[in-house]
Amino acid sequence: MKRPGPLLTLLAGLLVGVFMLSLNATTGTRNASSSPPTTATPTPTPKSSPAPSPSPSKTPIPDARYTGRTDDDSASVAVTLRGGKALAYYCDGRAEEAWLKGDVNDDGTMRLTAEDGSVLNGALKEGNRIRGTVDVGGGSQAFTADRTTKPAGLYRATATVNGTETDGGWIVQPDGGQVGILTRDGRPAPAPRLDPGTGAVTVDGQRLTARPATP
Amino acid sequence: MTVDPNAVTQDFPSPGPGHRRPGAARYLIPALVAGAVAVALGAYGKVHDPAGTVFNLAGFSSTIALKSWLATAAVFFALVQLVSALMLYGRLPGPAWSSALHRWSGRVAFLLSVPVAVHCLYALGYQTYDSRVLLHSILGCFFFGAFSAKMLLLRSERLPGWLLPIVGGLVLTALTIIWLTSALWFFRTFGVTT
Repeated sequence: MKRPGPLLTLLAGLLVGVFMLSLNATTGTRNASSSPPTTATPTPTPKSSPAPSPSPSKTPIPDARYTGRTDDDSASVAVTLRGGKALAYYCDGRAEEAWLKGDVNDDGTMRLTAEDGSVLNGALKEGNRIRGTVDVGGGSQAFTADRTTKPAGLYRATATVNGTETDGGWIVQPDGGQVGILTRDGRPAPAPRLDPGTGAVTVDGQRLTARPATP
Repeated sequence: MTVDPNAVTQDFPSPGPGHRRPGAARYLIPALVAGAVAVALGAYGKVHDPAGTVFNLAGFSSTIALKSWLATAAVFFALVQLVSALMLYGRLPGPAWSSALHRWSGRVAFLLSVPVAVHCLYALGYQTYDSRVLLHSILGCFFFGAFSAKMLLLRSERLPGWLLPIVGGLVLTALTIIWLTSALWFFRTFGVTT
């Protein structure tokens, strides 16, 4: 054999890749407990966002979209603010979802409610993060949602497909990940994948367009 | 395999010598492997349903932030690659250990890029929803194909002198654009954050 170095390099890369892949596949839900990514640094580091970060009080609440996850990483939360009103969507990607609405107070706090009794209490931090709790389906979960930009955010599509009332909600995270629930005649199920660029989604063979959801 | 048991082991292919045995296999095999690697990664990214979440390291606000820093470190070592390659080819004055520097900075850069790519493919997948993402997806697959080709070519003797610099340059260019379309985008969008 001559010059084994390059082959060993490739092999090492392959091993690292396979190792990380198996780690990812086996620890899917453990991450929240081992290293909570968002709660680790609650106060000292306001992200130096290039967007003009508005001062927390006095100025009107800026229109923006926020996406994040619950601290236990079991569900996604997205909030869209517009004109002092807020629309939030809680979605675990399987069965539990809630659309919550309400007003944003001048100090950045908000209490959003849904028809089924779900409640979201949140507070805007530095204009680039919403921290709070959401009570859906009997449990209470803390969440953090960071300010983000298109195509991340909250999407909704309602239509009648083959005579079935369908209502889909999606949360697209800034890293491109997404969760969604599609409710057919009141029965929730994981939603098909949405193209965040165009909002196109195919439901039971029919093409729908999901639109950014606003209050 | 392209192994020639009688060939003289040589630390680095000397640029521009005559090539007496132009066996097509020693170009064909790296090219085929490169294509197979790139297509396999792209196909996996496209077919596999993106998981969205993966584990994170403490101290980083998000996996994407962690990836951005890993990728930045990889680009740094890639620049060391460029400088040390220029030393090896005599375009820059360099120490005697510049070949070791080249080998090890390359290994480090490659190994840093692997976890990033695993996350990309596992959690995000091959995406096409805008031109930045499309370019990143294509070049991400291309990079690992080109890198594999570079590694396999290193095992061949008496390559045309221009071949390794060209392939190495492609690898470096791909990595740079991958970085520009991901980590730099991240830092510009979310701030230079951990």
